[in-house]
Amino acid sequence: MQETSCDAQEKEMPSNIKPDRVLDCTGLYCPEPVLRTRIELDNMVVGEVLQTLGDDPAAEEDIKSLVKRIGHELFELSREDDVLRFLIRKIK
Amino acid sequence: MKVVFLSEKKKILYVQTSGVDTPERTFAPFILAATAAAMGMEATIYFLIKGVTVVKRGEADKIKLEGFPTLRQVMDQAVKTGLKLEVCEQSCLLLGLERGDFVDAAKIVGAATLNDRLLDADAVMCF
Repeated sequence: MQETSCDAQEKEMPSNIKPDRVLDCTGLYCPEPVLRTRIELDNMVVGEVLQTLGDDPAAEEDIKSLVKRIGHELFELSREDDVLRFLIRKIK
Repeated sequence: MKVVFLSEKKKILYVQTSGVDTPERTFAPFILAATAAAMGMEATIYFLIKGVTVVKRGEADKIKLEGFPTLRQVMDQAVKTGLKLEVCEQSCLLLGLERGDFVDAAKIVGAATLNDRLLDADAVMCF
């Protein structure tokens, strides 16, 4: 079994949660999705949800690692075609 | 009685920055990783800079040093033990290589993942 660095498992059917902010990182490669996600989270208030979109395959593990290290919650990860959709809740 | 959980396995990380132009530096991480698995450790090799050339599809088949199987055989044997291969695709840009086309076992990851793995590992060795 592939070890993941967060509790979120990839979902077949993404939920309909409406994010407070959307960050489109499609077309961007490492480390841009990580750096931009960090900046966006810094500008949010606790409890808000950020949706980050990205098509760099590296973003999957990278965003998981980022969110775990800075203490927020990646509660959903889904994929449509080659685009990953991360739903992150700001915790602190 | 001491109960050992899977998560208590020691983690060892090999960082491969050398490429197929120095074939003598490409075998050791795989041999060490297979040995680590036999010793009850969880092993990962992270390939970056010239190291990415090692996991470009087909390259390991071409590397054969006297007295050793091909690098491909050594790699396949190590992967069977549960070794994880992680690759920095951005390194391809440095080397003027096309993105992608890595061996099936390789997972594309990036800078944040390497930082994470470095801090998580009980030991790190760089080749």
